[in-house]
Amino acid sequence: MDIEALKEEFLNKDFDEQSFDVDADDIVNFALACGEIAPRYTDPSHPDFQAPPTFASSFHAGRRMPEGFPKIPGLGMDGGKASSLKHPIRPGVRLVGRTHLHDIYTKTGRSGPMTFLVMRMEIYDPDGVQLATADTSVVIRERPGK
Amino acid sequence: MTINRISDVEFGEELPVFTPDTSLDNVRRFATAAGWAGPRFTDHEAARAEGLPGALVPGIMSQGFLAAMIHRWAPEAQIKNVDTVFRAPVIVDQPYTISGVVTDIDEEAGNVEIDLTVNNEAGETRVFGTATVRISNPSS
Amino acid sequence: MILDLHTHSIKSDDGRAKVQNYCQWIRAREIPIDGFVLTEHRQYDATSDYSSLASEFGLCILKGSEVETEYGHVLVFGVTDALLATFDFSDIRLPLQRVVEACAAHGAIPVPCHPGRKRVGMQAHVGEFGVPEGVRIVEIYNGGSRAREDEIAQTMADDLGYLGIGGSDAHIVSHIGRCATRFPATISNTPELVEALRAEDFEALTFKT
Repeated sequence: MDIEALKEEFLNKDFDEQSFDVDADDIVNFALACGEIAPRYTDPSHPDFQAPPTFASSFHAGRRMPEGFPKIPGLGMDGGKASSLKHPIRPGVRLVGRTHLHDIYTKTGRSGPMTFLVMRMEIYDPDGVQLATADTSVVIRERPGK
Repeated sequence: MTINRISDVEFGEELPVFTPDTSLDNVRRFATAAGWAGPRFTDHEAARAEGLPGALVPGIMSQGFLAAMIHRWAPEAQIKNVDTVFRAPVIVDQPYTISGVVTDIDEEAGNVEIDLTVNNEAGETRVFGTATVRISNPSS
Repeated sequence: MILDLHTHSIKSDDGRAKVQNYCQWIRAREIPIDGFVLTEHRQYDATSDYSSLASEFGLCILKGSEVETEYGHVLVFGVTDALLATFDFSDIRLPLQRVVEACAAHGAIPVPCHPGRKRVGMQAHVGEFGVPEGVRIVEIYNGGSRAREDEIAQTMADDLGYLGIGGSDAHIVSHIGRCATRFPATISNTPELVEALRAEDFEALTFKT
């Protein structure tokens, strides 16, 4: 696999755009399950009610990979998440997430050779204001014996 | 001590350790709310069939535990970013501890940097990361 | 003098620590080390200059690398331009023998790290590939080791007659100094570190609780 060629062809090009409707009950359940106790995350009647700061990481792109990206054999796992929040995410607003491939690299770990694909979703409100960025590192581990 | 202003934060301060609820019921509740209700997260047998040691606590839930720990310590803190590396699986129904320690304070900007870890009972780090948190002084 | 010989900064893909914050942490928390070596994954960071931080905090800050071979990960101390030209540090399937020979030719020291770790540790591969030639030192205390991994490393070192170093393998600020290496002499630059390792007079330390 030629990582440099893949980078050249696929990095930093939006390959997916998806809309999300955020529900107040989902925010509350997300927050309570994580152990949040601050009312602004757990009480929809709170004047500053909003999603917890890592909520943006839960949004899924419609497409997992850019069109034409080669299939990398192995077991895909979540290798890491990074959430940056510029403005709160609140219910009742239709959000748009645009996703691009941010980085590709290989390394070896306790489970053997791995390929890392870093997906970046930028999340916007209906006015085009960027609310958050959510990075996901998908790690694809070669199956044992390969 | 609950932190309400950045001037109360001390370099090297350890946040109160938080024991997260990793029960299957709670993970199912989270997974449903987050739209991540796949069998890998909600069913031990299905996860084992995939070659995993058991149902996984979703990485985003570990990230959520870490954020919750910060808010329990500083209720009004605004988390600007949380960056986590998932080193090893966090398994449903197993005990973990969530820890944080202050590694940098920028009083002028109102920012605090925190190291974050999720450790298992053996003290092994399963998840680590950092957060940048804004904590204002009430007058600012 | 005590140096943490295995650390990562934000220059590594999974490193989340700024070098300045390592320095602040060492001094504020009175971590019992006099400096550290940045061993970024699959690269040598030739551009960063930490000399002003080293002066400000009174610490020795050096640079090495952590490369990946069929025997697992290997720290390299004494990286030079000439060494960089001999193999691709970013290659995750480097032949260890090539790394060892290149280090010997260019005055560097290769040290297999976390050798008790699954797949990325040397012990896991000795049965398949045999005992490699040219290795004199391995890391016997690693701050990121899980259960028994350090014991496996120490047993291997004893059995094969290797010397042992310690390093924290820190990726976040608060993990620096969990393991380290004590040298009898003062070390202030990379050639002195290489010389001290070559003298084979040092002691691996662990501060893990």
